[in-house]
Amino acid sequence: MTADPTAPGPPAVELRGITKTFPGVVANHDVDLEVRAGEVHAVCGENGAGKSTLMKILYGMQRPDSGTIAVRGEQVKFRSPADAIKSGIGMVHQHFMLADNLTVLENVVLGLPGRFDPAAARTRIGELSARYGLGVDPDRLVEQLGVGERQRIEILKVLYRGARVIILDEPTAVLVPQEVDELFGNLAGLRAEGLTVLFISHKLDEVIRVADRITVLRQGTTVTTVEAGSVTTAQLAHLMVGGDLPTPETRESTVRDEVTLGVRDLSVRSDAGRDLLSGVGLSIRAGEVVGIAGVEGNGQAELVEALLGTRPIATGAVTLAGEDITAWPTSRRREAGIGYIPEDRQRQGLLLTQPLWENRILGHQTRPPSSRGVFISRRGARKDTERIVAEFGVKTPGVDVPAFALSGGNQQKLVVGRELSGSPKLLVAAHPTRGVDVGAQALIWDKLRDARAAGLAVLLVSADLEELLGLSDTLKVMLRGRIVATLDPATVTPAELGEYMTGVATQEATP
Amino acid sequence: MTAVIERPAAPPVRAPWRDRVRRAAIWAALVFVTLAVVRQVTGANALTSAGTVNDAIGLAVPIGLAALGGLFSERAGVVNIGLEGMMIFGTWFAGWAGYQWGPWAAVLGGIAGGALFGLVHALATVTFGVDHIISGVAINIIAVGATRYLSSRFFLGREDGGVNQSPSVPLIGRVGVPGAGGPLGTLEGKHWFLVSDLAGLLRGLFTDVSLLTILAVLLVPAAFWLLWRTGFGLRLRSVGESPVAAESLGVPVYTMKYAGVVISGALAGLGGAFLVTVYDGKFLENQTGGRGFIGLAAMIFGNWRPGGLAAGSALFGYTDSLRLREGSAAVHALLLFAAILLAILAIRAGVTRRWIPAGALAVAAVGFGVVFAVTDQVPAVLTPLVPYAVTLVVLALAAKRLRMPAADGLRYRKGETG
Repeated sequence: MTADPTAPGPPAVELRGITKTFPGVVANHDVDLEVRAGEVHAVCGENGAGKSTLMKILYGMQRPDSGTIAVRGEQVKFRSPADAIKSGIGMVHQHFMLADNLTVLENVVLGLPGRFDPAAARTRIGELSARYGLGVDPDRLVEQLGVGERQRIEILKVLYRGARVIILDEPTAVLVPQEVDELFGNLAGLRAEGLTVLFISHKLDEVIRVADRITVLRQGTTVTTVEAGSVTTAQLAHLMVGGDLPTPETRESTVRDEVTLGVRDLSVRSDAGRDLLSGVGLSIRAGEVVGIAGVEGNGQAELVEALLGTRPIATGAVTLAGEDITAWPTSRRREAGIGYIPEDRQRQGLLLTQPLWENRILGHQTRPPSSRGVFISRRGARKDTERIVAEFGVKTPGVDVPAFALSGGNQQKLVVGRELSGSPKLLVAAHPTRGVDVGAQALIWDKLRDARAAGLAVLLVSADLEELLGLSDTLKVMLRGRIVATLDPATVTPAELGEYMTGVATQEATP
Repeated sequence: MTAVIERPAAPPVRAPWRDRVRRAAIWAALVFVTLAVVRQVTGANALTSAGTVNDAIGLAVPIGLAALGGLFSERAGVVNIGLEGMMIFGTWFAGWAGYQWGPWAAVLGGIAGGALFGLVHALATVTFGVDHIISGVAINIIAVGATRYLSSRFFLGREDGGVNQSPSVPLIGRVGVPGAGGPLGTLEGKHWFLVSDLAGLLRGLFTDVSLLTILAVLLVPAAFWLLWRTGFGLRLRSVGESPVAAESLGVPVYTMKYAGVVISGALAGLGGAFLVTVYDGKFLENQTGGRGFIGLAAMIFGNWRPGGLAAGSALFGYTDSLRLREGSAAVHALLLFAAILLAILAIRAGVTRRWIPAGALAVAAVGFGVVFAVTDQVPAVLTPLVPYAVTLVVLALAAKRLRMPAADGLRYRKGETG
C-alpha cells in the first residue's frame, strides 16, 4: 500500500492499522485502507470479514481500539456520526435509516443544526435532486416510497450535509437490475462532481463494474488493494474466500409427477380492501423448485403468508399433497409438512436472546424430537440441534449460546437446518441466502438441492436473480399481486427477467 | 422506463393539515347540529346551555393537559402511563406553593412538581431501560403515598391544612368578553332551535373563563407548532419514529427523550395545578380522580395529534359536565345523542364499504337508541358511569387507523445503530 505519486493531494480517507475487538471476536485486525479523492473505491469481502465494522469506525459509530483515521491528510478522531459528518463523510446504510411516518423533507433535514426552514430546505432538495438526477419529491411520506427511491433519499441526505466522501453499505442488495443500473448512473454522476464514493459489497461483478479500485478484506484484515480493470471476478473471489465462487446451478431435473402444492385463484385483500394478491394460481410438484421473481412489494410476502396461514385470504383454495388445507391454522399446516425460511431471520425466524436449542424447537413444538407429548424434550432438542450444527457447519461454541451470538450466515444455516428437519413436503423459502456470505450461500444451495432431489417441493422467493435462475425448475414473475409470466430459467436472461418484473415485457399468462 | 421504476410525477403539493382542519370543522358543526336536534326533541336544555359549555371547558382542560403531556412523551417514544402520578404531584406542589405565594406560584409549582417526576420517569426508562409501563405504574403508586406523607409534614397543623389537603390557595381570576353575557343569555332563554343553542355555546365560551383556561387552550396550537413546525419538534418526533435513523444523523436521542418526558410531566403537573387554582382552591387527596389516565386515552383516540386529543378531551369534559349539572335527565338525552352520532359514523363506514366497522357502529347505535327509547331516565347509580361509557364507545368507534409513533414504548440503547 504505497501512495500513488500521481494522485493529486492527500487521499480523501486513509485508515491505518485499525483494530477493533468485540468480546470474543476480533472484527478488524490491522486494517489499512486508502481512498483517493474522486474515485469509486470498493471494499469487498465475505460477511464477517469486517467490512461493516470498518465502515462504522470510519463513520464514527464505533471507536477503534487502535489505529488512525486521516481525512484529506488530517488526523481525526470521531466520537459520533456527527463528527464524521462534520468532516464531510456520509453513510448510506444497508438498512435504510429513514423514519417512515416523516416526509422526505423531514428525513433529510433531521438532525441539522439551525432553524427548521421547510421552504429553504425544499428549494435546496430540489437543486440537489436535479443536479445529481435523483428525482426526489420532498413532500411525500417515506412509507409511500419504493426501495430505489428510499435509497436515493439516503444519498440525498448525505449530499445535503455537504459530504465529500459517501459510504454505501451493500447498496444493491435490495435492488432489481434496472435499479442497480440507475444507482450506478447516479454514482458516476457523483464522481463526475468530484465526490469520493466508498462502495461496500460482496457482489463481485458489480464491484468490478462500478469501482476504480478494490480493497479486499478477509477475516478482519486487509488482503490487498487492486485496480478494478486488472482483475477478473474469479481472481477476486479467490482473494476473498481463498477458493472459487459457488454457483447455484442445479444439475438435472428431479421433478416428479405428484403435485405437492396446489394453489387456485388465491386472492388477498388489505384492510382497506385493496387487492394485494389477485387470482394467483400455481402448482409445485415433488422435487420441483418454483421460483418467484418480482420487485419487492408486489405480493410475494402476501403469497408466502397466505400459504402459511398467517394472513387471511379473500378467495381461493390451497392444497397440500391433495388435501385441502385452506381452512387450516398455521400450526396444522406446519405439522402437515410445510417448512418456512422467513424473509427476516432475526425478526421472524429466531428468538435472538434464546439458546440455539430453543430456537430449534420453534415451529416444531408439537413434533419429535423436540417434544414428548405435551412437554418439550430438552434432550431431544439439544441433540437434534447438535446434528444441525454438524450437518450445516454452523460455527458456534455450542448449542447453549444465544442466537444473537452467531453471525448472520450461521443464523441462517441454523434456520435452514431447522426447516429441513422432520422431512417436510413443502419448503417456503423467502430469500434464503439474503445477506449471507458466499460460503454459507453455497452450503444452503447445496442443502436445498439435496432436499429437492429427495422429493421436496420448494417455493423460492428471492431478489437474487442468479439464485432464482440457478435453482428454479420453473420461474414465475409477480407484478402487482398477479403472476404475469411463467418462464424457463434455462433460457431466460436476467435482463429479460427484469423486463417482466417491471412490466416492460408482458406475457399472456395461461396457467 | 417502466411503471415501477419511473419516478412518479410530483403530486400536487397541498398541506394535509388544511384538509384536517376543514374536516374537523365539518365534524364539529355536525356534532353541534345533532346536539341541537336532541335538545329540541328531548327538551333537555342543559345540553347546550352556557353553564354546561363553560363547565365542559373547565373539565376538559385538565384532561387535555394530561393528554398533551402524553403527546410529548409518546411522540418521543416513551409511553407515559405515569401521567396520573405526575398530575398528583402537580396538585401537591401547586397547593404547597399556592398557599404561600399565590395562585400563579401554584401554577409554577405544579409545573415544576410534574416535571420533576417526568425526570424520574425519563431517568428510569431512558437511562436505565426500565419497562415504560412498570416505571409509570410505580410513579402512580408512589405519588399517592408520597403526597400524603408530604402533606403530613408540610400541611398538617396549618390553617385548613391536613394530611389530605393543603391550606387554601386563592383562585385564578376569570375574565369574559364585556357585554356579551346579557343579550346572549336572553337569546338562549328563548330555546329556539339552533339559534339559542349557538347563543349558549358562545356565552359559555366567552364569559367567565379562567385565565389559566385560556392559557391551556392556547397550548394546543402551540404544541402543534412546536412539534410540527420547528427543528426541535422534528427531532423529538424522529426519536419516537426511528431512534436508529435519528442517531445516525446526529440527533441526541437520549436528550430528546428526556426533553419529551420532562415536558410531559410539566404539562401533567400544570393540569394538576389547574385543579388546585381553578376548581378547588386547595390541594386535595384524590383530586385528580383518574384524569391522567383519561387524558392518556384521549390522546390515543386522538391519534397522537394535538387536534385529536383536544377533541377527545372536549368530549370527556362535555359529558362529565352534563352529569354534574343536570344528572340523570341530561345523561338520558346523551344516549340519544350518542345513538345519532354512531348512526352517522355507521353510514360513513358503510359508504366506504368497511362492513365490519359499519356493523359494529350500527349495533352500538341501535343499542343506545333502544336504551334511550325504553327508559325514562338513567338510574342514579349509573349516572356517573354513562358519560364515560358514551365517550369511550364513541371515541373507540370513531377513531380509525390509529397510528402510534413507530418506536413508541421500545427501549433504545445507544449504538444499536446498524
